Amino acid sequence: MSVFSVFDQLQNSDISTAISRQDHLFGAGAQLLHISGLILVLSSILIVSLRLLGLGLVQVPLPRLVKATGKFIWLGLALLAISGVVIFLPAADHYYPNPVFWLKFGLLAFAIVLHLTWYRRVTRQESVKPLIARGTAALLLTTWFGIAYAARFIGFY
Amino acid sequence: MTLLEIGQWLNDTEIGVTVRESVYAFPIIEGAHLIGLALSLGLILFVDLRLTGYFLREVPVASILHALRRWLLLGFALTLSTGVVLFLAEATKLIFLPVFWLKVSLIFFAGINALWFELKWGRRVGNWHQLTVLPTGVRFAGWASLLLWFGVLSCGRLIPYLGAGL
Repeated sequence: MSVFSVFDQLQNSDISTAISRQDHLFGAGAQLLHISGLILVLSSILIVSLRLLGLGLVQVPLPRLVKATGKFIWLGLALLAISGVVIFLPAADHYYPNPVFWLKFGLLAFAIVLHLTWYRRVTRQESVKPLIARGTAALLLTTWFGIAYAARFIGFY
Repeated sequence: MTLLEIGQWLNDTEIGVTVRESVYAFPIIEGAHLIGLALSLGLILFVDLRLTGYFLREVPVASILHALRRWLLLGFALTLSTGVVLFLAEATKLIFLPVFWLKVSLIFFAGINALWFELKWGRRVGNWHQLTVLPTGVRFAGWASLLLWFGVLSCGRLIPYLGAGL
């Protein structure tokens, strides 16, 4: 079964049809949840990155800061996933040929793997070697902000 | 000068025309506006969460304000400048859209709230920041800021949906 036929089946699923039948303000509500979730994730990543770069909240121990922002990252990701499914389903066929859509999800897959492996390992330490700290911050900022920028482009492509 | 004339004049500014007619300028500036939001609203969110008691309670408010203030202001500069450009590109539509004016008013009130907080509490942050539970006025400013900025975000996101018919 091809990827396109999976997308096509998703678009024609019952839940997708139910979403399509809603008022256009339902779609606007999903978009609002999506941007709220995005702001939660991006600002949390930004705060941790500033700390890694030594540019902000340096007096807060890194593991403490990561724990405090962690719940907002997961809340943000949950909001993004739920609203994302609502936005995606009714237009799955339309997204399939869009290269920016695939770029975004490629970056997202990378970001999630990075978060569950490297990010966890580095941020467990009280003090991180400067080079590793800076490299991690640069990688986090480019990946997550790259996802947001790519996402903003999907609709225009 | 009528509102329509003002809108048309803004719409016909060089920058407004350039952005409207370019294929890439609009999404590029929209993307920058979104990233500006992550810095401005995103960081003010964490300041508000601290004021309302949901983020790093053991860290003095002054330290959080001090650490985040310049990034937050940088974010507001980016959001506002890209916002002005996006407005110019669609001025004739936006100027007649109630939700746009609601957004502008909410930004104004959020600004007043921040200014009030800064003048009343921010300047003498040393006197109260050690308390575990912050003074009611401080917590009120935090909640007001959370609600007002969420209102701004909502209005902004609704603009294309409520403005489609214009």
